[in-house]
This record gives sequence, C-alpha cells and structure tokens, in this order.
Amino acid sequence: MARFNYLEPHSLDEALRMLADGGDGVRLVAGSTDFLIRWRTGFWRPDAVVCMQHVPGLDAISFNDADGLSLGAMATVQAIEQHDVIRQRYPALAAGATAFAGVQVRNLATIGGNACNASPAGDTLPALLAYDAQCRIVGPAGERWLPLTEFFQGPGRTALQPGEILTELRLPPPPPRTGGLYIKHSPRGAMDISAIGAAAVVSLADDGACRRVSIALGAVAPVPMRANAAEGRLIGQQPTAANIAEAARIAAQSTNPISDVRSGAGYRRDMVQVLTQRTLQHAVATAAGGPAPFGELRRLALQTAI
Amino acid sequence: MTSRNFKVLGQNHPRVDAYDKVTGRAAYAADVYLPGMLACKLLPSARSHARILRIDTGPAAALPGVRCIITGADFPDVRFGSGALRDRYVMPRDTVNFVGEPIAAVAAVDEATAQEAIELITVEYEDLPAVVNPITSMQPDASTVHPDLEDYQGYGFTMGHNVSTLLDADRGDVDQAFQDADHVIEDVYRSQGINQGFLEPMACVADVEPNGRLVIYASTQGPYQIRAGLAAVLELPVSRIRVVAMELGGGFGAKLRLAFEAFPALLAMRTGRPVKLVNTREEAFTMNGPRLPVTNYIRSGVMNDGTITAREAYTIFDVGAYLGAGPNSGIGHGIGAYRVPNFRLRSYGVYTNKIYVGSYRASGVADMTFAVESHMDHIAHRLGIDPYDLRLRNALREGDVSVSGAVVPSNGLLETLQAVKDAVAWPRQLEDGHGIGLALCEWRSGSGPSTAAISVNDDGTVSLLTGSTDISGSDTSLAAIAAEALGIGMQQVIVAKRDTDMAPYTGQSGGSRVVYSQGTAVQRAANETRDKLIALAAERLGLPQDALGCEDGRVYVLDNEPQGLTFTQLAAASITSRGGPIIGTAALSSMPYTPVFAAQAAEVKVDRETGQVRVLRYVQAQDVGTAINPMAVEGQLEGGVVQGIGRALTEDQQFDPDTGAVRNPSFAAYLMPLAIDTPQIENILIDVPAPDGPFGARAVAEPPGFGPPAAIANAVYDAVGVRVKELPLSGERVLAALKGQSPALTMDVASLRRAEGIAAD
Repeated sequence: MARFNYLEPHSLDEALRMLADGGDGVRLVAGSTDFLIRWRTGFWRPDAVVCMQHVPGLDAISFNDADGLSLGAMATVQAIEQHDVIRQRYPALAAGATAFAGVQVRNLATIGGNACNASPAGDTLPALLAYDAQCRIVGPAGERWLPLTEFFQGPGRTALQPGEILTELRLPPPPPRTGGLYIKHSPRGAMDISAIGAAAVVSLADDGACRRVSIALGAVAPVPMRANAAEGRLIGQQPTAANIAEAARIAAQSTNPISDVRSGAGYRRDMVQVLTQRTLQHAVATAAGGPAPFGELRRLALQTAI
Repeated sequence: MTSRNFKVLGQNHPRVDAYDKVTGRAAYAADVYLPGMLACKLLPSARSHARILRIDTGPAAALPGVRCIITGADFPDVRFGSGALRDRYVMPRDTVNFVGEPIAAVAAVDEATAQEAIELITVEYEDLPAVVNPITSMQPDASTVHPDLEDYQGYGFTMGHNVSTLLDADRGDVDQAFQDADHVIEDVYRSQGINQGFLEPMACVADVEPNGRLVIYASTQGPYQIRAGLAAVLELPVSRIRVVAMELGGGFGAKLRLAFEAFPALLAMRTGRPVKLVNTREEAFTMNGPRLPVTNYIRSGVMNDGTITAREAYTIFDVGAYLGAGPNSGIGHGIGAYRVPNFRLRSYGVYTNKIYVGSYRASGVADMTFAVESHMDHIAHRLGIDPYDLRLRNALREGDVSVSGAVVPSNGLLETLQAVKDAVAWPRQLEDGHGIGLALCEWRSGSGPSTAAISVNDDGTVSLLTGSTDISGSDTSLAAIAAEALGIGMQQVIVAKRDTDMAPYTGQSGGSRVVYSQGTAVQRAANETRDKLIALAAERLGLPQDALGCEDGRVYVLDNEPQGLTFTQLAAASITSRGGPIIGTAALSSMPYTPVFAAQAAEVKVDRETGQVRVLRYVQAQDVGTAINPMAVEGQLEGGVVQGIGRALTEDQQFDPDTGAVRNPSFAAYLMPLAIDTPQIENILIDVPAPDGPFGARAVAEPPGFGPPAAIANAVYDAVGVRVKELPLSGERVLAALKGQSPALTMDVASLRRAEGIAAD
C-alpha cells in the first residue's frame, strides 16, 4: 500500500492542469473500483491520484433522435443499467451493464472508467463497440473524437495521450428495426469477471435482410474486438439459422483467446460461437418487436450462470 | 419416536449472539485496540523451494516507525507439527518450501509503514529443485521436499520419500474376492484444491502483561490448541500464555490450530507493546493452508445381483509443503455407507512445494464421497441396476461393522434413502438435458475432550462455561441443552466467553463435535447442577430427593406442586449451605461411535452447447437424531450443501504448474456460490435418536457438504449421459465430456501395490 498524493479537482480545467503538472506518476481515477484493488496489491504505484468524482457535469446521460446517446464518462454503470431509454434503444448496453459485477460495484464504477481500464473482459465494452461508440477526448491541445475501436491498444492500454481525459462516449441512434443483446459467460451469477462476453446488434431492412450487423467480443483477444468478417457474412443476407450459424463460426475463428484461471483458449473459442449465435438470434428476433422486458434481458445476459 | 416431551429442544431458537452480530457490536480479533499497539505485516517467500542465503533487513529497520523485524532465526530451533508430524518451523530458518511462506515479520507504528518496511527487505535465495505434482513427487527420482523427514518426530505413521503418511485399512481376502466377483469395475477420480472461504481473514492481537505473561486475542476454533502451539514454538510453558477466543468469523477448519499468532507474539515480547496482525484476503489465500487436490483410484468387485464383495481404494492426498491437517481421513471412507466384506484401502499424504494442506469440513471426506458415490452410479449403470436399488442393497444396517471395526448402532440410514426417494419421486423420466442424481453420505459424530461447568447465579439464572469456541450457533445449542436439562428457559442461561485462563480445557470446535460431544458434557454438568439443587431443596424442605421435581426454574414437591423453592431461593440458600454455592461440572474424553447418515438428490439442467450445469433443486434427508434447535440444524444442512455445490461446480484453487504458487488468490477468481447461484434446498430431518448423544442428538454439520459433487455429477450423467470424473464440473469440463474429449485420469496402482509387496492385481 504505497503512499500517494490525493488530488481532487472541481473542474475539467483543473483536472487537466493537475494531470499536466503530475507527469508520468499521476493516475486519473473515476469510481476507483479497479484502482483500489490494483493499488492495494502494489500493481499500481502512482505518485499522485486525481479523483474525478467532484468534477461536475461529467455524469450526464442524454438521448435525442439526431445525435443518439451521450454518456458522460462519469456516468455510473448502475445509472446506465437503470436508464429507460438505454433499455429500449440500446438493450445490448443495458445487458452489459446489468451483467457487470454486483450492485455495490455498479453503483461506483463508471462507463469511462470501464473504457479507460481497457480490460479485454470489461462487460460494457462489447456493447459500446457494437453500437459504434465514439470517444470525446479532452487534452492540453483541445478536444478530439476517436472511434472506440481505435481507443483500445492492448490490455490496460488506450489511445489516450499524456494529459488527456476521456469525457464522453457517444452512440449514434440505432436505425428502426434494430435488436441487440449481450451475453456474459460466467460460472457465477454475479460478482464475476467474464470468461467470454459477446454482443450483437442487428438492424433489419424492409425485406427482412440484415441491413446492419455488429458483433463485438470480450475476453477473447488482447482488446475487446469487433468481428468484422462475421458481420460481413450476414450483411445483406437473410438472417436464416444457417447464415447465423456460419457467421458465429467465422466470429469464433477471428478470436485470439488465451488460457487462464477462468477458461482454456479452446473453450473460449467454442463459446464465442455459441454466444454469438445466441445474441444474433435474439437480436434478429427482437428487431421488429422491440426489446425484451428488462427482467428478461437480465436473465438472458446472465443465462450461462443463472 | 416415542414420547419425548421437550420444553426447549425441538423448537426454533434465534442465536444467542444474533443481536450483537447484526448490530455490528460483536467483537472480533481485528476489533481489539490496545494502547500503543503496533501493526504487523509478513514477508512471503517468492520461491517455491530455495535456500535462504541472506535476508537484509537493514533498510527496512531504518525506516521511521519500524519497531522490530524478526526472521526464522529469532525463534527457538524447534520444529512443530500442526498435524500428525512435526515437519515445520513456525518461520523457516534456512529453506523455504512454498511461494507465500512467511519468512519475516515487521512490527511498525501502522500497517502502511509495516508494509513499506516489508517491501524494503531483500532476500537472497539459492533455488532448489521444486516438485509441484504429487504423482511426480512419488517417483523415486523426484526432488526431495524434506531431506530430514526420517528424523522428524511423528506419531507412528508410515513414511517414505516425499510421503508424509501412509495409512491403511484391510479386511478379508480382497484379492480372492475380486477373483470371485462377477464384475470388476474401476475408476480414477480427481478433486480440486478448495479454499475454506471464511469471511473473517486470520487476525490476532498479542500483548505482554506486566508480569510477563503472553495474551493472545485470537480468531480461532481451538484456543487451547493455539496455546499449545505457541508454547511449543516459543518454548514457553503453557501457563505463561493466555488465549482469549474472540468471536469467530468463520473457520471451517482453517482456524483449528496455530497459524500466524507466533509472529505478533514474538514481536510483542521483543517490543513490549501490543502487536496486531490482520491478514489480507490475498494472504488468507496464499499463506494459510487450503485443501489440496486429491486423486482417487477405486475398484470394486460386484456380483450379478449388485452385491459389492470387494473394494480397493488408493487415495493420494497432496499435502503441499507441510502436513498442516491431521493424517488425511481417506481410508475411513473408502467403502462409504456400505457393507463391504473385503477391502484394501490406502491413503498417501504426499509432499509437494505448494502451500501446505489445511483442514476444511471433515478434510478429505468430500473427496472420498465424490469418488465412492460416483463409482456407485458407474457400477449401477454397468450392471443395469437402478442406482437407488444398488445403494439400498448394499447400505450398512444396524449390527454391521464399520471400517474402523465398530459395530453400527441404530441409525436412520434407510429412512433417509426412502425420504429422498419419495421427495424426488425417484425414478423419474425428465425432459432432455435434465437429470437427477443421488448421493449417500456418512460421517460419525465428533468426539474428543469435552468439559463444561454450570454455576447457579443469585437471580436463578445459570452461567455456562465451556472451552468451545462458538461455531455456527453452537453456543445457542449448548444453552438449549443446559436449559432443557435444568428445566429453565433459554434466557436463563448465560454463555460465558472463552478464555484459556477461565474455561476448562476442551478440544477444538470442528468435525461435528461441539453439540454432540461438548453438548453431552453440558448435559451432564446440568444434570449434576440439577441434582445439587434438588439435594439442597430436599434438605431445606425435609423431604426425600425422589419426592421432588425440577421445572420452570424451581424445585417443587411432586405431590404438591405449589410447594417448592425457586432457583433464586436455592442460590441464596446455597451460600450458607453445607455444600456451598452450586456448581455442576462434567468432563469426558471420548464418545462411543455414533454414525450420521444423509441421503441427497440433485436435480440439474445441462446446457449441451456450453456444458454449464445449473442445479435446479436439492433435496437432503439426514438422520440428525433429536434436533436440538431445528432452525440451526436446517441452517447447518443448507450451508453445507451450498459449500458442496461450490465444490461441485465453481470453486477451484489453482496452482501454477511450475512454481506451485496459488493462481487465483481472490474471491473474484476463486468462485464461491452466491445466493443467486443457489437452488431451493429442501431439508428432511430424520429423527432416530442417538443412543449416546445429548437428548438423542447426533452430529449435524459435516455430511451435508459431502454429497453435492457426486449427486450433481450423477445428475449430469442422468441428463446427458456423460460421466465427469474431475472436479469442479465446469462448463469446459462437461463440454469436453460431451465431445468425448475428457482427459484420461490414471494412477499407477500396480507399482504402489508392488512397493508394499502386494503381488495381486
């Protein structure tokens, strides 16, 4: 438990200054649910910690039909899980949020923190990728936007430059007739880290063909990833059982999982196929009629455990 | 059973400590704050097997706030044993044997400073060859964990190269019986490492009284055993040590013996200041012994009608670096709850350079039950016999002889089987992917030294003094036994806190012994107290003792109930009576063999695509004899099953195959079941009174946890037709079995037999 200086900015500008002044040894924290564990074990030994909890305005969640969903980086996972519009329009994200850890951790953990922690197993990340999230990044040189697909650089590594802060994630409005789901593969019903996570979002055209397909996978590569080849296999096609099965098979091939205490690599790849197939089937089935009620969505997200 | 009109027993009583615990006022060891108290942290070994060449504590000692640093050289040069063999130093003197073994301790003004100091200590190691796999460790060319093993003081068990203990049990002509059998069926099973998962990490505070006596405030299941352990490693007489047992936040076997108390103790002696040590969760996982993997070879000779005539079982217990738990109890359970006329049972405790093995919930029996009860289903399916019928045919009956040679007294085994059969409507055809599995569990009511003293207070209440730490509400049950015997209410019984200076010596709280064995001592002490009250009343009333009864807090005249003396009056009278103040005591060293049987059934659903197993329903029937406090009995039954479900499905202490280090030292990676993972558990209490237990009670706690791995594995077989022989039954393992890709489990039993000079095969 190494000592550090604790800094508490009250504005974004102040936070940026503290980051600039702190140099390499400074670490930004949001909900601190990852930080405290890694600090206690000695994995992270910052000289200074900048806590974002008291910077106002960064936890807003808003939606409009033109711009889609805006998630302030400090929005908690619990706020996202409980948000009606997200449950209606971005059900895969609501599923990812509800599958995340347990209630106490969801109350503290933030969407920005989950992204910046850049764990391949982060439960909100596949859904954010599947909904084409864009990152708003503020730094000494001003503001820039970056697709989330380019944000993750490796386990625990992001595209943030020194002195930069992720302030917002923006998810474009899904087209009409869009369905989605995230399934977390876990042996335990709560407070577990995903062995595998799979999100699928499918938009159907008037003729029933797949107009837009996104498949995103967690814990099967160094970073949360989109399965582009599998998506390509379905786009423009009818979502038949055979086509979905084939896309799921391609998704499994595109992964690069490791073996660890949670699972062997081979099993992870097998599960990508199963979960991709199930999320695609659900996305297609709910594209027209709207998402399942939240209780059902939660059950589906945790279906491997409960 | 026949009329047993209890006034207190058989009714639900909330725990006597419930209010203190739910309001957070119960005091645990970590809640002890003494003036001038220092904090202690430990330095873990970074190597699995190495000579310590040098420990440089200089920079750490120079850190402001550091008061004292100790290493193995600061302790007397004496080995102690937490199990059956004195095979370890409390802190290694020259050789470390596992990653995580504490090799230095620091006392500093606060925990952060102590931890900073720990990180400033540098250790120079010379690596030695390490062995991690117990099967490899048994090979003659494997590196040796304990080169001086032959010189260690033990308790008479056979030892060998890297073998700490070899236990055996034999009956009949087993080889002839195998030759004569219609079928011979053999299996190898493997069960995983298991962490006890207690909520409260190890904690203690050591203080030195002005007169030089050492006081330990401990989180323990065995205050007297801590005292004995400390006396051994510090070379102090036990009379110089006092252990105060604080509230226990879960132990499950992990807190039966000396753990880390010697470190703050020596630091307190060196500094003259109180020293507190509280483990982190990671330390609880990496420094304090869990259960380690067990491999079981099991072979049965069976006749066409299903009668089992021969059994051979070779069990290899990985004991890690030290024999931290007793000589593992495998052989006592190699035939399960069945009559088997011929058997050969062997248990090997094999050293490896892993964290030392500890105790957990009747250590080893759940591993044996998984093997034996899975094997029973295998036999049934091979012979085309219903698994229930096979169990019924072979089940032990009253008058049979147990493995140990004791005659089986009256018991409710057959009733438990029938009750579970009825509850789940066995045999039942289920939809695809669903299945039911059975398991039969056996245990014996725990024995060992037990004492109690009951004194009558001025206001007619009684104070109950025992040396047993409360576990899982045992204080409440002991109070109920005293109340029943004395004819008073639960509220009239005060259960005193444990302190080795005040309470009489007793064995540890564990192994299903407190209510059964300690409860018998309490019952006898209460009877003596009652007899003295009656004798005093008889003297005062001028009536013979047999003319008096004792009920509702008073001794009364049988023929004239309104006439009598209350306990309050008698307590007052006793002060000046010939016999003096009233106190009843009792002590015993062991109890007769009293088996406990339980039948269990799991109903599961298997996802054929993921291999994931979900338990939908769990039914257990256990012969508990008299249920002292039914609410507590059910709590024990359900808690045990939940622990068993964790063992069956998700809990898996993993070790690095090269270094032996614990790979998942956190509750985020070591997965104990949560409420959401737990199915409806139905409890059926069978009441066949124990001939010798207190008011006919049997032990309760241990058997519920034995059955789930086998019951669930058998249910998985019923659901999808594959047998998984390795725990836990993870999705990955079940899916591999569904694909026909389960790794083959083997044991070279022929060479083990040869080593013993047994030619037969």
